[in-house]
Amino acid sequence: MHSSISSFERVIPALPWRRLALLAAGLVLAAAAAWEVRVRAWGYAPCLNDTPDLWADWREKVRPDSIVVIGDSRALFDTDLDALEQGLGRRPLQLAMAGTCAYPVLENLANDEQFHGTVISSLIPLMWLAPPPSPPYQNSLDALKRYQTRTVAQRASHHLGMFLEEHLAFLKQEDLTLEQLLKHVPVPGRPGFHGPPELPPYFQVIARDRRTRMAEAAARPGPLQDHVKGAWLPLFTPPPPPSYVPPEAFARGMGEAIEQRFADTAAAVKKIQARGGRVIFVRFPHTGALKAHEDKLTPRAGPWDRIIRESGAAGIYYSDYPELASFDCPEMSHLSGPDSVEFTRRLVPHLRAALAK
Amino acid sequence: MRVKADPIASPGRFHAVLFNSLTFVVFFVVVVGAYWALPSWAARKNLLLVASYIFYGAWNPPFALLLFATTALDYYLGARIARAATPGSRRAWMIASCTSNLGMLGFFKYGNFLLDNTQWLLARAGVTYVPPHLDVFLPVGISFYTFHSLSYTLDVYRGVCQPTRSLRDFTLAVSFFPQLVAGPIVRAADFLPQLVTAPSLRAGQFGWGLMLMTLGMFEKVVLADTMLAGAADAVFGYGGPLPALDAWAGVLAFAGQIFFDFAGYSTCAIGAALTLGFHLKDNFRFPYAAIGFSDFWRRWHISLSTFLRDFVYFPLGGNRSGPARAALNLMIVMFIGGLWHGAAWTFVVWGLIHGVFLVVERGLKALAGEAAWTRTFPVQLLMAAGTFAVVCLAWVFFRATSFTNAWHLIGAMAGLAPRGDALLASREILQVALVTAGLIIAHWNLRDTSIEAVVARLPAALVVTLWTLMLGAIVLTQGNGHAFIYFQF
Repeated sequence: MHSSISSFERVIPALPWRRLALLAAGLVLAAAAAWEVRVRAWGYAPCLNDTPDLWADWREKVRPDSIVVIGDSRALFDTDLDALEQGLGRRPLQLAMAGTCAYPVLENLANDEQFHGTVISSLIPLMWLAPPPSPPYQNSLDALKRYQTRTVAQRASHHLGMFLEEHLAFLKQEDLTLEQLLKHVPVPGRPGFHGPPELPPYFQVIARDRRTRMAEAAARPGPLQDHVKGAWLPLFTPPPPPSYVPPEAFARGMGEAIEQRFADTAAAVKKIQARGGRVIFVRFPHTGALKAHEDKLTPRAGPWDRIIRESGAAGIYYSDYPELASFDCPEMSHLSGPDSVEFTRRLVPHLRAALAK
Repeated sequence: MRVKADPIASPGRFHAVLFNSLTFVVFFVVVVGAYWALPSWAARKNLLLVASYIFYGAWNPPFALLLFATTALDYYLGARIARAATPGSRRAWMIASCTSNLGMLGFFKYGNFLLDNTQWLLARAGVTYVPPHLDVFLPVGISFYTFHSLSYTLDVYRGVCQPTRSLRDFTLAVSFFPQLVAGPIVRAADFLPQLVTAPSLRAGQFGWGLMLMTLGMFEKVVLADTMLAGAADAVFGYGGPLPALDAWAGVLAFAGQIFFDFAGYSTCAIGAALTLGFHLKDNFRFPYAAIGFSDFWRRWHISLSTFLRDFVYFPLGGNRSGPARAALNLMIVMFIGGLWHGAAWTFVVWGLIHGVFLVVERGLKALAGEAAWTRTFPVQLLMAAGTFAVVCLAWVFFRATSFTNAWHLIGAMAGLAPRGDALLASREILQVALVTAGLIIAHWNLRDTSIEAVVARLPAALVVTLWTLMLGAIVLTQGNGHAFIYFQF
């Protein structure tokens, strides 16, 4: 029979563990404080990370008649929630996400039988038509999955994390994690290696309601703005076909996926409209070489016009209206914080007109 | 045949409270603080029990009821086994326990796998059968807590431990939060005696427990998730031709990732238990320095291998009925060991590869005997390298989402696609190489000792430096919140 007292005891190394623990804790705190000072000197400031958890917080708040902003980073940076609330009479919920294809979010709202509200969606054709499992599409799925499956423990970690992020500048998941820092280790390149395009660095400030503004350092000429600017053209260039798929087969597959997206988009919009809801697509300002690049790859008469025509949704193309077309994007893709407020004010009458139709 | 899902690449849906989360930090501080503040041993046990169910229920509260039901049934069956008047009735109650535990495990974990395979077999016989897809959610850690609980009735049956009279104690033994969802598989016979009297902390026990938790966390979030997971995911997820360099880098990355992930969890569990006054046995002993496969299984997931040895291999007859029967018994054990990890034939093949090499090794040992040349350093080194290479090869089947995926990768490792796509950056290959080299060197140098013995010999200043560096690196990862791979098992 087993003894009533366990015979197994682990060995404890004979060291002054209490003193060592206190010393290690003190050193880590000192190192963290030094790192905090360093990253603040680089221009970082405490602010939230835009995580799937933060997005899920706001997806949960969607009510049947809510006004919801979805889309990519242009909807996130360029719409001001206060100005929209003033103009539309209700505060919208910000569900746009940087670097995403918003179609899965539109589909999610369309499949929500209760939802009959208003969707204001940014539409960058290159992002909207991104097929699975491309990163823009996957990013949206990740956020939706978090919304659908997150646990009590994950919620608790998220709320604790937000508290820390609002006080510590070094908690920047885009730039300052160990994984990101390792990417800066100078290692010679490898022949034949073509990695994914580099993402832009941290250049925004996001609040708990996900109102996002471009960081001031990115809005003025300087190294940060140059860095962000340099990221767009590679990111907005479709990747080459995989080496192991014949180009014709790849082109055919992509063509089919894009056709399917047109059809799915129209179906999702009609589902929302059938319940009395509204969908308004907005093309937000973009400038310089990026505008030329997008216009070349996806001219307005292509995907934009087709989606508007086939879906029956309202469309607001910024360049159709002088008061919307007069803004400059400091880093070619987004408006500065102050301009985003003014832009939204000028956008409101067009939104109201679209809703009145 | 359905391709197995790939939760290893994104194990995000398997969340109780994660050790590597801010929630766990707060949970642990509150529980440990309250635990040591309570004067009564009974109150402390009640606290641990409630905390353990909160830990588990934070994932999916209804499944905490399933956990309790399993536990309560085995508590009852353990008592019936002990009270049974005849060997036949003892055996019947033991079989009832096995049936209920394995039946529940089978339903949740293997239901769809069985239906799919039935469909496939019937199709071979020309019968068209479309099975319903069971839309069941796999309870996190079910394979672990089922074995925790089952070990109790089996040990009572074997006479290794007496049944406990306290349902509370048994419920705590099964659900003790440090080891609840990803092991080690702590036998009730090892844990229940520790619940008899209040533990007292020996000098340094609390601090050493915290040190082990730091080490385990470092292994998980820094080495497994940050340094290796990216390369492993990229290589196993790639459908195109790969040069041998990338294929080997991906497989070595996974070999390191799964060790650091699982051993990291076990180390955290051992450390957390120590801070509460409990002693859990080692689950890993530097397995990548194993010389041969029997040595590997004495070092890798020790709590599972001893469970299978005691409750499957020995009851089948072990090696008492001649070499052929022993070989068959080994293959059966490794088949079960493979299947325990998941409902897919690739896991079974992984287990059978180990089974075959265990059998071959026994045969070679019988031929070579205890010859002196087998113990020379070069031969030992060669055998260790060979063992590691085959273990890595077997990991391909463990990690691959399908046999096509596995053969594709093995072909690439053999150099069948020399002009394949350079998938990994130099930096990623360098990371994998450095971590793998460090891992193997550390295991080789520590293979005949223990972490405690090594740390005891280190100067205090070096220990503080290493501890600080590990904590600093953990902070720098910013809590990516990746679940542990073994949560899914």
